[in-house]
Amino acid sequence: LTTTAEAPVGRSARLGVDVSASLNLVGSLVKYLGPSALVPTAFALTHSEPTWPFLAAGALVSGFGLALERVTRGAEEVGIREGYLVVTVTWLVAAAYGALPYILANDPQLGRPVDALFEGMSGFTTTGASAATDVAALPVSIQVWRQLTIWLGGIGVVALGLAVLPRLRVGGRQLLESELAGPEVEALSGRIRDTVRRFALLYLGLTAAGFLALALPGWAGAHRVMNTYQAFAHTLSTLGTGSFSTERGSIGAFGPLTQWTIVVFMIVAGTNFLVLYRALVQRRPREAAREEELRLYFAILVVAAAAVVAIVWSRGVEHGEAAVRAGVFEVTSVVTTTGYFTVDYGHWPLFALMTLALLFFVGGCAGSTAGSIKIVRHLLIARLLGREVVRTVHPELVRPVRLNGVVVDQQALLAVISFVLIYVAVFLLGTGVLALEAAFRGPHMDVLDLVFASGSTLGNAGVGLGPAGTTGSFAAFGDPSTVAMTVLMWAGRLEILPVVVLLRRSYWRL
Amino acid sequence: VKVFVIGAGLVGATVVEALHVDHHLTVVDLHPERLKPLSQRYDVATVQASAASRRELINAGLAEAGLVIACTSRDEANLVAGTFARTVAPQATTIVRTSGAEYQELWREGHLDADFVVSSELETARAVSAAIGMPSARHTDTFADGQVQIVELDVSGAARTDVVNKPLRQVPVPRDSRVAGIIRDRRAILPQGDAVLEPGDRVVVIASPAAAKEWCELVCPRRGDVRDVIVFGAHELGVAIARALVDQTIGVRIVEPDSARCGLVAEKLPRARVFNTTGLDPEFLRREGIARVQAAIFAMRDDARNLFAATLARVHGVPYTIALAHDPVSADVYERGGIDVTIDPRRVTAEEIVRFAHDPRTQQVSMLEGDRFVVLDITTRPESEYVGLSLREMPIRGALIGAIVRNGSAIFPRSDDVLRAGDRVIVFTESSRASVVEQVL
Repeated sequence: LTTTAEAPVGRSARLGVDVSASLNLVGSLVKYLGPSALVPTAFALTHSEPTWPFLAAGALVSGFGLALERVTRGAEEVGIREGYLVVTVTWLVAAAYGALPYILANDPQLGRPVDALFEGMSGFTTTGASAATDVAALPVSIQVWRQLTIWLGGIGVVALGLAVLPRLRVGGRQLLESELAGPEVEALSGRIRDTVRRFALLYLGLTAAGFLALALPGWAGAHRVMNTYQAFAHTLSTLGTGSFSTERGSIGAFGPLTQWTIVVFMIVAGTNFLVLYRALVQRRPREAAREEELRLYFAILVVAAAAVVAIVWSRGVEHGEAAVRAGVFEVTSVVTTTGYFTVDYGHWPLFALMTLALLFFVGGCAGSTAGSIKIVRHLLIARLLGREVVRTVHPELVRPVRLNGVVVDQQALLAVISFVLIYVAVFLLGTGVLALEAAFRGPHMDVLDLVFASGSTLGNAGVGLGPAGTTGSFAAFGDPSTVAMTVLMWAGRLEILPVVVLLRRSYWRL
Repeated sequence: VKVFVIGAGLVGATVVEALHVDHHLTVVDLHPERLKPLSQRYDVATVQASAASRRELINAGLAEAGLVIACTSRDEANLVAGTFARTVAPQATTIVRTSGAEYQELWREGHLDADFVVSSELETARAVSAAIGMPSARHTDTFADGQVQIVELDVSGAARTDVVNKPLRQVPVPRDSRVAGIIRDRRAILPQGDAVLEPGDRVVVIASPAAAKEWCELVCPRRGDVRDVIVFGAHELGVAIARALVDQTIGVRIVEPDSARCGLVAEKLPRARVFNTTGLDPEFLRREGIARVQAAIFAMRDDARNLFAATLARVHGVPYTIALAHDPVSADVYERGGIDVTIDPRRVTAEEIVRFAHDPRTQQVSMLEGDRFVVLDITTRPESEYVGLSLREMPIRGALIGAIVRNGSAIFPRSDDVLRAGDRVIVFTESSRASVVEQVL
């Protein structure tokens, strides 16, 4: 008896991670997810659709959170190691929560657990890749739930990017230059809660603004604009930079005014929330405009859009304002990793598609709801490479890499480089898995289709090509690929390292 | 005036040397071995006391002081001593020496209660930029808001033939300039019209900045404007020098062997290029095209290393070398070793401090040849016997008026110009005669 009682103590004593405290924190976070199920429940009531899948899902996740909190022993402070576990597990639980209503409602399109988890992960990672083949046919409450998962994911992403990951030394604190990030080693609570509260308010404000901007033309009686419900649904996904839509043709179902409005809000959602906070709340727009990442962000948008518009127009695929609008929209959609579309870009010239494929690896600003590598990392790597080129001629030259005039330390640069390399490696691995499955079954996929699928799930963009393109769906992939892409979304959203680090034996060891 | 000098290090000693004749001096230091040589050489009172102890300073007689100079090597001790002086001797003028520019900034903003704060780094940087501005001058300084420049030049063998070996009155000297002194065999000649410049002499010229440049061309024709320099050593002084030069939009390269220090400097001075190397590697000097710089400045902490690096740089074709001397003996060694300009950070600091110890009418002091000669900027008294006399009529007292500042603008007088009451005069003289000159003017 004594031996059995002592054995687990002995084992846990050799564990370097306080699993109990981590799970306790996960529990205390996910228990707040439950009430969100009331939103689709309200829609279900008004549209006389079943409410119980949402109520049950909400109850389950909150109950799970509370139970987890109860059975585990919390700690006053958790460290960096625990932090990795907390974020990975939290996102997994959130995705499962997102999947529950689809499974419980036994939805004909999303009811299979693999698809449901894909959809849930796609929502909470703000990817927007959908396994549904006909979104317009989904029940309204399910549609609302899909949109809501993106919006919830968005708020989590901002919190993750601005408050949690910097402290986990992912992305490097200096990249965000966050006045809100505290000392390196600090409890993952307290100030984080404060930060999240502040950005949540900003996020709410932007959501309200987006809703009004999209809904007002409809109220004013304009044509080919969103009605109140559509405005609500699309605001949720736009702010989260996800691309779930209630329409088959995505934003293409609406007129130019709505499309341009969406472009504006995609750009806003892809901006560093710290910069937005400074410009909008603290009213220091000039300071925000000096931000180098923001400038590069706009430069990339303009140059890439010009290139795509030029090729699309000159090859006669689109003409005039339509060409400009389609090009700008699609480039913005990919750079901000939103993933909406207005036209069937699948028929665009290869150059335009290659440009879009490259833009998957750009991503929005750090600290936004956008995914992928992010502008600031490209900026730093470009500067680092520039310096190394100079150093081939002047080997003794010491020239620190600066961001907004502040020197970025070598450690942070190394982190950026390793992130990008791991990112590319994971992307290739993901593409390989998809290619392997495509070799055995399923519809024909060409290389670019696979690149789009792998790159846009890892980058949380959710833009598909070929069978998963504008007229198709990610349901075209088989189960192994769907699982692989679910993992890609998960890893991509957490900036990979927290997921990879859990695979290391040294992480678990004392 | 009773002068209270706190700190008998190199700066303190230089201050004592400059002031001991005319003033009643009390020198305070913590270490008796520093006080002893001073008391043996000069007629000064020495007291062993701590700069940071109010009681000890009072016992040493701080209360009677009219001028308190806190010039120990420790900034904080100087600041504390300055603060004590304020309370103990409210009538006294206080001068605080600091190393960096930070305290001086604080003082300018009004946060430090001292009459003057002198920063060694800033003074050194100023001296270096002055030398850079006049690349062939051995020493240079500006007076009257930059309107008047004094330059000490080596008369080289390459000097224009219409300048050397001819009586001065036949020499086509640049307008707005006066030859204030000729230094031959370490003795000064106050030149009359029949004086002759010989190669190997040093000539002290008081002139407008443009005329000073012309003089450089006349007696030692060589370099043009300085656009690119290289600074060896990135410690505090090197950084202060580099910063001053960068601010003048001169291209600066910094060489420093310590990599951590390099990173720090590269961060602080984004417009300078920093190289992490000793600078003693011929391969590096060749690769970076060191021969193409117009000047190299040696600001490392070790004088011997400075000399070695400077010599190596000269071997690689650097035309003009400036080196900091931390040891008083280095100046002579440098000169023999072929370094063009030697700047002693402690001496330039002392010079700046001594300026305040002169007659209040003396606006500025500049020392030449160590401190054997001085150039003073004095406002004349109305009752001075010299007022109303033309330069030709003035009794000769071992001093020469190089320029007159009247109503804010500089005049370079001829022998028939008349001195008026309230004129500021720029006078060259021997240091020992400085107080006499101050008295008669």
